[in-house]
Amino acid sequence: MSDEEHHFESKADAGASKTYPQQAGTIRKNGYTVIKGRPCKVVEVSTSKTGKHGHAKCHFVAIDIFTGKKLEDIVPSSHNCDVPHVNRTDYQLIDISEDGFVSLLTDNGSTKDDLRLPTDENLLTQIKEGFAEGKDLVVSVMSAMGEEQICALKDIGPK
Amino acid sequence: MHQAGYNQNCAPPDMAKLQATMRAIELACSSIQMHANPSAAEATILSLNQSPQPYQACQFILENSQLANARFLAAGAIRDAAIREWAFLEADYKKSLIRFCWLFIMKHAGSPEGYVQSKVASVAAQLLKRGWLDFTVAEKEAIFLEVKQAVTGSHIVDVQLVGINFLESLVSEFSPSTSTAMGLPREFHEQCRTSLEMDYIKEFYCWAQYAALNVSHRITGSDTAIPEVKVCSAALRLMLQILNWDFRAKKKAVESSKRGLDVYCGEIKQESNFLGRSECILVQPGSSWCDVLISSGHVGWLLNLYGALRKKFSCEGYWIDCPLAVSARKLIVQFCSITGTIFPSDSGYMHGQYLVQLLSGIIQWIEPPDAVLKAIECGRSESELLDGCRALLSMATVSKPLVFDQLLKSLRPYGTLTLLSVLMSEVIKCLMENLSEEETWSWVARDILLDTWTAFLMHLDGSGHNDMLPAEGISAASNLFAIIVQSELKAASTSAFSDENEYDNLHASIAAMDERLSSYALIARAASSATIPFLTTLFSECVTRLHQGRGTSDPTETLEELYSLLLIAGHVLADEGQGETPLVPKDIQAQFTDVVDADKHPVVILSGSIIRFAEQSLDPEMRTSFFSPRLMEAVIWFLARWSSTYLMPPEENKGNKSGCENYSNAQLRSEHSKNALLSFFGEYNQGKLVLDIIIRISLTTLVSYPGEKDLQGLTCYQLLHGLVRRKNVIAHLVSLDSWRDLANVFANERGLFSLNATHQRSLAETLALSASGMKTSEASNEYIKSLTSHMTANLVALSCKNDFKNIAQQPDILLLVSCLLERLRGVASASEPRIQKAIYEMGFTVMNPILIFLEAYKHESVVVYLLLKFVVHWVDGQIIYLEARETAAAVDFCMRLLRLYSSHNIGKISVSLSNSLRSEADTERYKDLRALLQLLANLCSKDLVDFASEPLEAYGVSISQVVFMGLHIVTPLITSELLKYPKLCHSYFSLLSHMLEVYPEIVAQLNNEAFVHIAETLDFGLHHQDGEVVDLSLRALKALASYHYKEKGMGKVGLGSHATSYKHPGGKVQEGVLSRFLCSLLHLLLFEDYSNDLVSSAADALFPLVLCEQSVYQNLVNELLERQANQMFRLRLTNALQSLTNSNNLSTTLDRVNFQRFRKNLHSFLIEVRGFLQTI
Repeated sequence: MSDEEHHFESKADAGASKTYPQQAGTIRKNGYTVIKGRPCKVVEVSTSKTGKHGHAKCHFVAIDIFTGKKLEDIVPSSHNCDVPHVNRTDYQLIDISEDGFVSLLTDNGSTKDDLRLPTDENLLTQIKEGFAEGKDLVVSVMSAMGEEQICALKDIGPK
Repeated sequence: MHQAGYNQNCAPPDMAKLQATMRAIELACSSIQMHANPSAAEATILSLNQSPQPYQACQFILENSQLANARFLAAGAIRDAAIREWAFLEADYKKSLIRFCWLFIMKHAGSPEGYVQSKVASVAAQLLKRGWLDFTVAEKEAIFLEVKQAVTGSHIVDVQLVGINFLESLVSEFSPSTSTAMGLPREFHEQCRTSLEMDYIKEFYCWAQYAALNVSHRITGSDTAIPEVKVCSAALRLMLQILNWDFRAKKKAVESSKRGLDVYCGEIKQESNFLGRSECILVQPGSSWCDVLISSGHVGWLLNLYGALRKKFSCEGYWIDCPLAVSARKLIVQFCSITGTIFPSDSGYMHGQYLVQLLSGIIQWIEPPDAVLKAIECGRSESELLDGCRALLSMATVSKPLVFDQLLKSLRPYGTLTLLSVLMSEVIKCLMENLSEEETWSWVARDILLDTWTAFLMHLDGSGHNDMLPAEGISAASNLFAIIVQSELKAASTSAFSDENEYDNLHASIAAMDERLSSYALIARAASSATIPFLTTLFSECVTRLHQGRGTSDPTETLEELYSLLLIAGHVLADEGQGETPLVPKDIQAQFTDVVDADKHPVVILSGSIIRFAEQSLDPEMRTSFFSPRLMEAVIWFLARWSSTYLMPPEENKGNKSGCENYSNAQLRSEHSKNALLSFFGEYNQGKLVLDIIIRISLTTLVSYPGEKDLQGLTCYQLLHGLVRRKNVIAHLVSLDSWRDLANVFANERGLFSLNATHQRSLAETLALSASGMKTSEASNEYIKSLTSHMTANLVALSCKNDFKNIAQQPDILLLVSCLLERLRGVASASEPRIQKAIYEMGFTVMNPILIFLEAYKHESVVVYLLLKFVVHWVDGQIIYLEARETAAAVDFCMRLLRLYSSHNIGKISVSLSNSLRSEADTERYKDLRALLQLLANLCSKDLVDFASEPLEAYGVSISQVVFMGLHIVTPLITSELLKYPKLCHSYFSLLSHMLEVYPEIVAQLNNEAFVHIAETLDFGLHHQDGEVVDLSLRALKALASYHYKEKGMGKVGLGSHATSYKHPGGKVQEGVLSRFLCSLLHLLLFEDYSNDLVSSAADALFPLVLCEQSVYQNLVNELLERQANQMFRLRLTNALQSLTNSNNLSTTLDRVNFQRFRKNLHSFLIEVRGFLQTI
């Protein structure tokens, strides 16, 4: 079994300040973990033993929060896993540029212009149509391990 | 050709048309078979089924079509149409349809297309049942005369088979569990069932018996298969089916005769114990069957028949599994389960004789066990052995324990138990040799035999311990148990190294194993004076082996054996509590009467050696070398099970002196030994010491086995939780240093944060529950405070940090917050009046932080859910005790929470690239909303139970308004998509209907938007597919309409503007809500599909609606009548509508009597008209 290799490999990849160590046994379904250097949301945890009288290990099935790809990992449950620092920030949408970038208003009044429109069809049309109708839109931006993506949208303006 | 009775202007049969229909159907049949344009073909077939009066065409097809499939479909169409149109077919025509079917199957007796034959037979049976209550006795007799002729008089094999098959269809049609739905109320099926049982079923049985009897000599006389074999096995099948009938006569018998009650109540009780476990169903046909089944020599005949068959198994055409042999064996097994008033009350003499006779035949199947099993190993079929085991099971179920053992005594020098023990030992030996094979016959045999033992021993247990087993029985049980344990240990050591990866089956197999072990335990307890010392010996041998091999050999096999032994010992010594405090098992109490010294009591010795072994796990060195997580699981499991029975048992406090003078010497001695056993681990003896050991072991599993979730789960949920459930244990618990250590580690140190979050919750609850062990209420509150203050302070400090928003999402902070919330939730769910103050304060302190967390973690659904759940539990435990001022604060907090949650989630669109994450997000929202609805329901309870000293209104809070407000906030979040979750749907509708039923006046005050939402929701609920949701919506409707009607009657506005129709400025007419519901409810009742169970609640809603909106109702009725073109239907409909509102003295007041009358009216109305309204 190569469970441990996965584990150390992922540790090497992760940026040190972007992740925190946490005991594998405490990571629950819907929690986050790093697998193969990618920040993931855990959708399934099961435990098993190494041999009948051995120690417990956790089997994670998780989804990459940015790409939606499914990843799996097995870790002894008393060992530590890396848990990514997943942040979500709300910004007001100011503009959509022609080349597919958005302009967002930050808390301190400046703008943030380095984000692309999301690839998801549904969200994309909602943003475009809402913006065209002149609605006040707030987008949530999810960031983890140096990556960012728009992940949700909310209409806060009057109808 | 028969004329369609009611259709007077029906032309004489138009041959060309009939031919055309037939061809169309035949074409459709063949194109379906070839998958050519199946939808068109289906439509053609469906149109035949649904067309009015298709009988001529169907009969034509049945008689003339060459295509079997087409005939099959035509028969089905006759059935569908006739059931639908039954109410207005003429009486003669109904009979002629049945007769047609009967003549058809008689004419085609022996036809190779059996499925058409049985379809037509079943159509005849169904039609006969449909008309059963209308036909006169003479009419039925006429039909059955022909059937009887066919079965008993004809001597033509094919005709006899037709008759028997028809009876088979008829019996299965009349038996409620196998009957076909006919759109009629359940009473109809019940009446048919009762009537058939009273008047016919015994006759049917006699016919079948006669038919079988008549051919049996020819079968026994021939060496090859002859056609009569078919008749015989069909007749036996019919007899078996009839004996499977759920006879009701037995119930009456039990009620009527006190004697019957005495003799058989035990068995009826047992029946419920066995449901689901064993396949043995009692047959209780009642005294009237005695002549047929018992005194006629029927059994002897069947045994002889089978005996003769056995000799022929080597001949051509007969073998052990040939249909005739199988039917005969099944019937014999069924005979074994006959019991009840069929046997005269001669204290079981005749029943005993009867069973002995059966046993004398059956014993040849299973004896001698070793030879029989060897033959099976060599390839003989096992079915005879298995049927023999089943027969034993039936006998053990119907007879008293000692009678059961005696049965064999008249045939052999030993009792039935000895045979059972030897047989099962052999089976287990077989199993041991074939461990690797899956699910062989020996598994089945073992399970049946185990059920037999259980049936037998449970009887023994249930009838008090006057019936002690005879010595022979005891030694049979202990020998068997020795073999069982040996086989379990062998299985354990061989599987020690197998790395099973069947996680999915794990729980199922544990449950199955548990059941098996409890049966083993029953056997062990029957002979506990031998088996318990035996277990002690085995256990110490294992432990010794472990120590001897230390450091030199791999202990895994021994560990696995210890694991099994712990499970077995736990099952033998103690029962599963299932939430109750289990007592020391009766069998164990009753034995060992000669033991005087408590410390020599075998149970004490076994328990003691296991506890001493468990204590060794406290030593770190021993722990690492022997106490693997799996072994530790067994240890914890054993301690949990054992301690709830033996540790500080509540009985020891009771003074046992009372009534002692009535005891005989022997009873006194048994009392003495029982007390010795009970008090040994009691409060004033070793109890406290053992409790301390248990707590220290628990702390070890929590701290020294990092990441072992299952083990820690067992410790938290089973062991510790079980301990704090018992008052006398808690009192000692809180005085123990080890318990204080545990509480301290939990509250103030970080170590236990590495436990799984739900385990932390459970631990918090456990620790909080132990507060009631303190002597005073102040001390309890103080204890809770010390337990929680560190945690709440932590949360408050976090929420006050300036940069909290920035650090909130760091994984370490996230983990800390969720662990703390889980713990608080655990404490909150331990609410008790005594510690209510402290828990209120705990919640009050974190109110603000909770709102801050809800804001900061609005994207972190896991934390949001935790927050909501904490509040739900806290409110649930607190609300009824709170004073008005505190309630106002709590309610205000809940409303702020609701608004905040809603502002975060309304109009939010989240996306995710992954399907599973998206459905995960849906589930999370569903869970949130369910929690919010629970919160509202908890708030509701304040209006029902309130212990506050001053009324809530003094603070301007009205619970009903608050809850409606809450509903108003929550409702927009509940989408129809989310209502697909059944639990959410149920809790939403039950809350809604509760509110409408209890506070209809508030509804009247709602603004239009809110009201429209409620109305729409109810409409959605009415058309929901879940009957319970429809029922809830109907109750809400009833409440609304009744409220409106009553208020109106008093000259008030009732629902006011919501109920009145008015014109919009644009000219659009806005209908009043009640008239809209009247329309849709009527439509539902008349034209849509729904379960019959709903009719009563629909009636309750419809009645006040009709009263409220009489003119609208009149218009609807007129419209309905006008649409009816057929004069005859219109007349029927008019009459039915007339009697719906006028019969049964219905008046216009809304009281119980009137509601009941209207229910009756609606039932008969629907039976009268639904048939033709739905089709036309």
